[in-house]
Amino acid sequence: MAADIEGANPVNDEPQLVERARSGDREAFGILVSRYADQAFAVAYGFLQHAQDSEDLVQDAFIRALERIDSLGRGSAFGPWFYRLLVNAALNRRKYLARRRTEDVPATARSQDSPAADSDRADLRRRLAGALGSLPGDLETVVILHDLEGFTHPEIAGILGIPEGTCRSHLSRARRMLRETLKEYRHQ
Amino acid sequence: MTDRHDDRPLAELEALKAPPRSDMERRRAQKRILAAAEPLLARRGRPSSSFDVLAAWARPGLVAASIVLAVVAAALKLGASGEAVEAVALDDVLASGSGGQVPALLVAGSEPDAEAFFEVALLERNGNGTPPPEETPNGGERQR
Repeated sequence: MAADIEGANPVNDEPQLVERARSGDREAFGILVSRYADQAFAVAYGFLQHAQDSEDLVQDAFIRALERIDSLGRGSAFGPWFYRLLVNAALNRRKYLARRRTEDVPATARSQDSPAADSDRADLRRRLAGALGSLPGDLETVVILHDLEGFTHPEIAGILGIPEGTCRSHLSRARRMLRETLKEYRHQ
Repeated sequence: MTDRHDDRPLAELEALKAPPRSDMERRRAQKRILAAAEPLLARRGRPSSSFDVLAAWARPGLVAASIVLAVVAAALKLGASGEAVEAVALDDVLASGSGGQVPALLVAGSEPDAEAFFEVALLERNGNGTPPPEETPNGGERQR
């Protein structure tokens, strides 16, 4: 899924696009936005579980990327650098929102199902989001990128700047912890 | 220890996936991003004038200058404190002369000499009392 969005496999024109965006080329920056915006939204949603907040976050991440694009090494891939920026921004935003909100029912919780089914789903989502958010260090990010958004281990390793093996062990550990946390819920 | 169970993602995680967005929503979101980026892109596209370059360096320049000033001030203070002499108030010096003697410093015809001043002050401080009394030509002390 993520392999076709140049996350860790930038297409040949990407260094040129970055160079052009560096000098204020709207078209080049627009191409980068169109390539990454959708996946970035999905990743942001994995962290924030709120559509509007995720859109805002993606916009902020692109603006921040443009502000700091000079720090991206010549010829370096835009994708991993951008996603690292996005993930950091998502973690910060969530901390900020958690202080501001006491409770948030995501928009996706609304459906055509019965109120009871909706309530169950919302409850599961809250528990899952809580369990994910309580994972230490990079574990949550690895789960979101791998299990939710389909990034590969090499891609995630590139984004987080960690060895691929560490990424795999993080994922395994995170899943085990999530299963433990959700065990109680499953028995209900 | 990792068992095979941990090799599979949790099925429940599907519930956390982003809702699908329509083409229109996606286009609108991208337009919003580009509109927000417009001022930055415009600034990047403009060739930088010498004023821009100076302005860009102004803040780091001020910070560097402040650091240098702080270091120089600290060095001067440290250097001065190494050979600092406790300040003596002028009143004290004058008072010391009230016992009938006026410090030589105050009656000197020439301009005050800093070394002489400190010497007097140190003498006062060390308890050596007033400077040696002036002697009259016949060997006795001059009376007021």
